[in-house]
Amino acid sequence: MLDKPASALRIRERLLESERLMEETGCYDGITELHLRNQDPLKFETLHTKLRAYCVSAREMARRISASPGVREVGEMVVAIYTPEGDAIALSNGIMVHVHTMSRFIKWMIRNGYEENPRIRDGDIFANNDAFIGTVQVPDVMDVVPIFHSGKLVGWAGAVCHELEAGGITPGGDVALAQERFTEGLFVCAEKVGENDELRRDYVIRCERNLRMPIYWVLDEKAKVASCIDMRESVKGLIDEIGLDYWMQVSKEFIEEGRRAQLARTRQLTVPGIYRGHTFYGHVTKGKPGYQPLGDPDWLYNMPIEMEITSDGKIIMDFEGTQPWGYHSMNCTPAGMDGGMFVTLTQHMNFEGLVNDGAWMATELKLPAGTWTNPDNEMVATATSWALLLPAYGVFQRLLSRSFIARGFVEEAFVGQVNSPMIEMGGQSQYGTPFGMAHFECAAAGSGALAIKDGLDTAYVGWNPESDMGNIEIWEQNMPMLYIGRSIVPNSGGAGKYRGGCSFLSTWLVSKTDHLRLVTSEHSSRVFDNGGLCGGYPAPTCQKHRAVRDSNIFELAENGAPLAHHTGTNPYRSELEVRLEGEHVTLEGPYITAPHKTGDVFTHSYNGGGGYGDVLERDPVKTAWDVENGFLTKEAAEGIFGIVLDEDEEGFPVANIEATKRHRADMRAKRLARARPVSEWIAKERERVKAADFAPEVKKMYASAIKLSPRFTRDFSTFWDVDAKSTFGVE
Amino acid sequence: MTSYSKEVIADLVAGTLPWPQTRRIMSAYKDDDRFFKYVAVLQDRVGWKDPILLPVGDHLFICQSGDERVTKCECGHSFGDYRKNWKLKAAIIVRDSEESLREIYPNSDLPDPDWMEIREFICPECGTLHEVEAAAPGYPIVHDFEPDLEGLYRDWLGKPLVSSNKGG
Ligand SMILES: [Zn+2]
Repeated sequence: MLDKPASALRIRERLLESERLMEETGCYDGITELHLRNQDPLKFETLHTKLRAYCVSAREMARRISASPGVREVGEMVVAIYTPEGDAIALSNGIMVHVHTMSRFIKWMIRNGYEENPRIRDGDIFANNDAFIGTVQVPDVMDVVPIFHSGKLVGWAGAVCHELEAGGITPGGDVALAQERFTEGLFVCAEKVGENDELRRDYVIRCERNLRMPIYWVLDEKAKVASCIDMRESVKGLIDEIGLDYWMQVSKEFIEEGRRAQLARTRQLTVPGIYRGHTFYGHVTKGKPGYQPLGDPDWLYNMPIEMEITSDGKIIMDFEGTQPWGYHSMNCTPAGMDGGMFVTLTQHMNFEGLVNDGAWMATELKLPAGTWTNPDNEMVATATSWALLLPAYGVFQRLLSRSFIARGFVEEAFVGQVNSPMIEMGGQSQYGTPFGMAHFECAAAGSGALAIKDGLDTAYVGWNPESDMGNIEIWEQNMPMLYIGRSIVPNSGGAGKYRGGCSFLSTWLVSKTDHLRLVTSEHSSRVFDNGGLCGGYPAPTCQKHRAVRDSNIFELAENGAPLAHHTGTNPYRSELEVRLEGEHVTLEGPYITAPHKTGDVFTHSYNGGGGYGDVLERDPVKTAWDVENGFLTKEAAEGIFGIVLDEDEEGFPVANIEATKRHRADMRAKRLARARPVSEWIAKERERVKAADFAPEVKKMYASAIKLSPRFTRDFSTFWDVDAKSTFGVE
Repeated sequence: MTSYSKEVIADLVAGTLPWPQTRRIMSAYKDDDRFFKYVAVLQDRVGWKDPILLPVGDHLFICQSGDERVTKCECGHSFGDYRKNWKLKAAIIVRDSEESLREIYPNSDLPDPDWMEIREFICPECGTLHEVEAAAPGYPIVHDFEPDLEGLYRDWLGKPLVSSNKGG
């Protein structure tokens, strides 16, 4: 088809044609043969490598233009090159979740007649952060520019940054308090924000007047535009070399090859069949200031996932049975769900070969209408959709991992991602100016364990494979708080033969301000929002907030007395309570409260990952090392893992292998004595189910799932041998 | 084509392969002959003769046991027909109180037992902890995995299973 000129169709018709061809042939854009690849595989691979290099270098350049520590320090950015129809051909590293959300944004403009009005012309810049058009949450602002060659639209270049401030009802980007779209902040809805490669002055003014900290957003816009122009010019140069017809064909073959590679990888690494798992999320806001009484304040979310791997290698994920959308900021759009799938696949399966939208095309998401995964109301807020997305895709990672274990690729099995509790802030900065910022050190949680080793400590998040917590000094430049501690939390990884990676906790002294608003989100209350695998336990992910108002810390410092640098390991009396005087606060759920001021102390803890395998098989020598380095306590080593530690002459822990064997034999015997047959437990538990003897939020969870899902109703009724509907009073 | 010795696969599975070597395996193209070597390694490890057809957990295997295909613990305990949820034949410890949760979570904030419990599924014979569920009270026990065993062998491994009278 090399003689076929760049399509003369208008782009909207071209998009529909492309979709029709995919429908008819099962191959991307009707590409049933990879002619160019077969003709000259070396040229084919080299070209894709070049495109990827354009993306990586454009992103690195842009990071140096950006003013935001989110982009500069922790790399909250991704860029990609698209076909004219908006399918990703090549992408950079970074927050890859957005490669496919941007694809949705481009297609949305095409479908909505942007060719006629506002027109798509060379030099135009389009921006979007509307999740129903194509992003995850309001701070994920994307910019795309069309690529024209010889007067024809031949592709798009796009870039996304996660903004640290979005101008919502609470400061930061993950606007925790947003209960509807109208409180989420500044929306740019597939808007033409620039022409002739320049951002419009009126757009910049709108940003400057609607954000608490416009410098982040505005300079990030410039960084994104620069990276898009850079990629555009590189692609145009490449087309000059290889010819327009070759480009139009090869870009599609790249995607079709990506699709085929994903299917082949699934057949190579996994086992066909049905996989199931679930996790939960507790949303507790009762009595918190600022919440409007639009719905129930407290909610328990169940997130069941059924994954099918078909014999041709397609992965289908089904969220049937989960909860409805709500008046909170944790809803997610199909675009966000796509993004979560995409970033997980690129990390777990698509780690070689051509990483692009082809991988996404080899999968299918079933998102029941009306649930948080696919709200049937476009007024809902999605500012903290990660709160539910991360736990859900952690389940996906565990389901995939079971397939890797079954197939023998144990080195790829991974207990998965956990939630990223985020702290955001605003008010008066240490410089006496208004400010607002999301603190992104949450980009370094503990990872789930692997099937062959412990998880990564403070070094992984699902949404950005290039995890980084950023330097303390940089964060301190951007907020009126000083670090008095940043420490590993002992026992914060899920227990197991291989433990989950540990999390860390930061302790700050509020400094040089009398008005600091602190807000947190994405941490589950009352329930674990992660899990273990093959006998491993979930990590402890239902942490509360601890703070001290009007502390005597300056007095202590003056006297050279010890300060609190972390919360310690006593769950009933924290180090803050031991060391500091003042008004001690312990709060569950989102931290939404009156402003803080100089002299207050605040702590925030992140999440560790889930464990793998039976705790009684954990390596005693590694455990001694863990205790020595603060990842586990001696008490946990003995009490949970059955590992007896002695001390050497210098006081370092050493495993006592013989005593460990004896202790473990005893623990195993006690375990067996304590356990009872599952059938017995089911019989007894059934009485409780029949009586619906549960907390109100648990009952509400069941009623909501039953109302929305025939399958959940059927499964529940069958398992307990009850009528689920009448049990929970559902009509 | 990438291929590793049975000894390397055995060390990899046991978690004893040196990290630099493991890392190279992770980064390299995958070895297409992995599955049968892996099964051979596991078959050597277990103390029984029933052929392993598919590992489904760290110490859980679907195997051919006479005419039947069953889920078996590494110790030899059978949980019955592999198409049924093995958890229903297991022993269980449920942690639904602050005291029992505290045993596993010594220094963190605990889940609310009214909202969440920990369920440990244990082999009634050897006491191995095979799977942990964190679930709301009343949540049905999950059937983790229903493999398409026949399809795997026939379509993906190219070695169709000899048909079995039961559990096929
Ligand atoms: Zn056993």
